[in-house]
Amino acid sequence: MSTTTTGGGVEASVAPVTRRVRAYFAPVNRSAGVPTLFDAAQLGRFDLHAPPAPWVDLGWVSGFTRKCGTKVDALRAGAPAMAVGQVRTEVEATVLLAFETWGKLQVTLASGSQQTNLLTTAAGAAPNASGGVAAAPVPLLTGTGPASTATSLNVGAAATGFSVGSLVAVDVDYTGQLGYVGTGVSSAYVQSASAVGGDINYVRRVTLNVGVVVAITAGVLELASPLPAGVPTAGMQVSQLVGFCDREGASFFQEWSGLFVMPGAQGDRVLVHYPRLQAMQGSTETEEALAAPLERIRLTGAFRALPVKDANDGETVLCFRSYLPAVLPGV
Amino acid sequence: MQNEKDTFYMMLQSRLAALNPARTIVVRGVVRPGTLVDENELPSAWVPVDVFRLQWTGLQVNNTGPLPLVAMECSIQYATDGSSGNGGMDRGRLLAAMDAELAAALGAEPHAVGKMNFSAAGAGVAATPMGTNVFWADPVFGGAKAVDERLERTTTVQVFAYQEAGEL
Repeated sequence: MSTTTTGGGVEASVAPVTRRVRAYFAPVNRSAGVPTLFDAAQLGRFDLHAPPAPWVDLGWVSGFTRKCGTKVDALRAGAPAMAVGQVRTEVEATVLLAFETWGKLQVTLASGSQQTNLLTTAAGAAPNASGGVAAAPVPLLTGTGPASTATSLNVGAAATGFSVGSLVAVDVDYTGQLGYVGTGVSSAYVQSASAVGGDINYVRRVTLNVGVVVAITAGVLELASPLPAGVPTAGMQVSQLVGFCDREGASFFQEWSGLFVMPGAQGDRVLVHYPRLQAMQGSTETEEALAAPLERIRLTGAFRALPVKDANDGETVLCFRSYLPAVLPGV
Repeated sequence: MQNEKDTFYMMLQSRLAALNPARTIVVRGVVRPGTLVDENELPSAWVPVDVFRLQWTGLQVNNTGPLPLVAMECSIQYATDGSSGNGGMDRGRLLAAMDAELAAALGAEPHAVGKMNFSAAGAGVAATPMGTNVFWADPVFGGAKAVDERLERTTTVQVFAYQEAGEL
């Protein structure tokens, strides 16, 4: 009674029952065109609250909808023509979802393009819709006091300019780099130094390497969570920001590796992995009515999957769905 | 189905007791955690207050899968008169505290627990683990009702389990 056996000899279990979907992010190396691959055979039963590096928890999502746009046509032969085979004429997969939480990553992914950190402006900066000229950055100290880590930034006496709750962007200066910029995650594409005005703060303006200060001790800013890019490297500086901004119509396409997990009530698990996802719509949001006139604003995203080659057989594919059966004896 | 009911009750009782160990009830001279199942107690017109009382009020069986899926509705009733030291004027606060405890207990992860067979359990005899999990949906909180000086609420939750071999 615990299982039935199909004609093919494959044990059939009860259908997975899940209450929601958990989403995870990992960066794509845009310069090399290499996504982060998730191996469900090795890591499929990871703790949902502690994803394996470099995967980052995006929290629960709702309205998770996978759409298959693949077209299958018949190959016909004879008179009258009869289907003698099939061929895939187009292969496409898309994902729709709404994030349950707002954060730098969620807002960035939902925006679909580069997202700007609203850096604290310099005194007298001219108004600009994505943030005016930024204040001078604060260097990370080396050789004086403790070394900075992914969760603590040694800024020395400059710490007086920060307070608990300050948002900080930590990244290198812009010194004329071309192409993808942003440490840890490619955050924007610079076509020319003149396009970004040679702004020394440009990389910090777009970086996803941001954090929140939760304590300040002896010139060291303690962060709420580790910086996505890990331990700051030489030359990185700190800029304060007040929030985030994205635009409709920018040219950059954000790309990420996505993993979606549906935990089953019996310990079974369905994992859907898209090695390469790009937004297929601009920034948008939906309003969820709470009680008039209150509405909760939900970040919504629509993404199109891009192809990768499966190393096992060289096939070009868009996504991977893995099913891990329950380990309970009764199902 | 009895194993599903017993397992859910034991899960809820232990979670609520962990959240508020001081919520207890004396039943037939024994101090117990403040969660009980009406049908397991002596019939009585007396309504205990400041405890959670479970009643199994609905049942559906879906036979389309390899194992019958049993859905049971559990009604959780709780009431308070407030504390005598405050002349009952804290009854709203005490009901809110029970709301919060129940929401936390049912909302905590995991939302599933291994089904246990308590039929042979007793003093020195542990319940037997079974082969599937019991799981539940989000609770639905009913409106608070004022009956004289008493405030009460009924919350319902759908509880699910697969019927295993030997349970029929």
